[in-house]
Amino acid sequence: MDTKNVFLIMRKEAGESLRNRWFILYTLCFSALALLVLLFSTMGGEIAGYSGFGRTAASLINLVLLFVPLIALITGGISISQERENGTLPYLLSHPINKNEIFVGKFLGILITIWFSILLGFGLAGLGVAIRGGEGEISGYLLTVILSALLAACFLSIGFLVSVYSGKASKAIGISVFLWLLFIILGDLGIMGTTVAMDLGIKQVFVLALLNPSEVFKIASVLVLSPRFEILGPVGVYAVRTFGQQGVFYLLFSIMVLWALIPFGYAYLVFTRFRKEEK
Amino acid sequence: MIKVTDVTKKFGNVVAVDSVTLNVKEGESVALLGANGAGKSTLIKCVLGLLDYKGKIEIQNRDIKENPKLSRSLVGYVPQDPLFYDMKTVDILHFFGSIRRVDDKRINSILSLVGLEDHGHKLSSELSGGMRQRLSFAVGLLSDPPILMLDEPTSNLDANARGDFLNLVKEHKNQGKTVLFSSHRLDEVYFLADRALFMKSGRVILDEKPQNLATSLGIKVKINLIIPEDSISKATSILNKEGFGGVSRNGSGLYVEVEEGKRVLLLEKLLQAHIPITDFAIQESSMETVIKYMEGNGY
Repeated sequence: MDTKNVFLIMRKEAGESLRNRWFILYTLCFSALALLVLLFSTMGGEIAGYSGFGRTAASLINLVLLFVPLIALITGGISISQERENGTLPYLLSHPINKNEIFVGKFLGILITIWFSILLGFGLAGLGVAIRGGEGEISGYLLTVILSALLAACFLSIGFLVSVYSGKASKAIGISVFLWLLFIILGDLGIMGTTVAMDLGIKQVFVLALLNPSEVFKIASVLVLSPRFEILGPVGVYAVRTFGQQGVFYLLFSIMVLWALIPFGYAYLVFTRFRKEEK
Repeated sequence: MIKVTDVTKKFGNVVAVDSVTLNVKEGESVALLGANGAGKSTLIKCVLGLLDYKGKIEIQNRDIKENPKLSRSLVGYVPQDPLFYDMKTVDILHFFGSIRRVDDKRINSILSLVGLEDHGHKLSSELSGGMRQRLSFAVGLLSDPPILMLDEPTSNLDANARGDFLNLVKEHKNQGKTVLFSSHRLDEVYFLADRALFMKSGRVILDEKPQNLATSLGIKVKINLIIPEDSISKATSILNKEGFGGVSRNGSGLYVEVEEGKRVLLLEKLLQAHIPITDFAIQESSMETVIKYMEGNGY
């Protein structure tokens, strides 16, 4: 793999994303909502064990859960499929560049731009907390940023997996939105429903939660922000008693890393090895 | 330079390229001719490594499957429908130039080479069809590759743009580049090619020099003669006597089918007989005519 070609594609992809009006709109909305969250979260004193940075981060978790997977899934979904559909991919491949360089370059380029928008939102909110003299552990805030970035990588990987199987961008977007609904909106309902229907134990509910990267992110974020893990309910108590607070965090972090790597790896193989032609 | 050995490409049950073997020598210009669906574009895409195939393809004695990037670095490709990212013209050249490790000086001079120096700031979507084709050619020339591959490069161009583009290609061909191009226009083949390979149903059925193509195939041109009404009868009998077949009336004169190399002879015979020719027009054989002829003669 020629890293120079990877960098070229990454730079092109990042540049295109940053010039894309939908991406600009997303970034502005995310930042504006982050500031709104800051405004409401810094009203009043400590609530439920959170103050200043912690409360702001806790409020931002739901915002991240809604926005980040959606943009990651959609931009990942159209990454390869759109180039296939409009014919620029075969033309690019007629030059001395390989599929693996294109794949990695595109992934990194899009990931960097999503991270930029996350950093902008969290950065503005964090700056606001600091200016308003907010208290609390900044380390928890920073860990939430890192977890948000990792969440973006998870869903971008899933988006890329959708993309390598799609010949059309419209199909990829449709599947991506469906997956967003499944993971984000129906995820909690799915766990609750399955728990009740199958009369699952706490251990099984915990394992079920690990099958959804957004649930893993939620649990990990609450863990880093709150000294009181009972907020997570019996499942949280079970997890901390079984693995220890730090152990649970490392477990959850590792699972998120796997959620980023496995779809990425499989999509990479499909694009570079299994699918040999791009007409 | 390009060696294709027993290459077959199937799409499902459809054989798009059927056991094709051909060689293109260094500095040679070879045309792939044939109707739509004959396998011309598919063969070019196989040579570029964009499609999987059975057989062997070598560029400069290197198997393209074993050396894909090196092989593609030796080729400048101009597709039928140039498709670019929505970037400025000059940025597109910089992007592909960087992939080909070309310095900025070369990139800047390429725009002038193809006559796009005043359009560098425009987005690719703002360029006309002819300009896009020239940009595509510019991208193909960036690293000064020894081989140019063009897939029906003038199919979407008007007459003026086509002429300009063909002259540009011919200039580079005369500088020693090896050219492999597909076309369904005989006039392009006559103008550019040293050899013409006729393809049908994925097979090469004829490999001939363009100047012999007409003779080999018995291709005739139609000449439309505008002759006064009172001279038509005399003109018809002279043409029949001199052995010119396919003489028929049209509204203002005669149509005559003439073999290659006999157009001037026809006019000479009529003028010697003092037949007043008010005007004439030559209708070149189209690919459709050639295909019909070939199908009618068992090719």
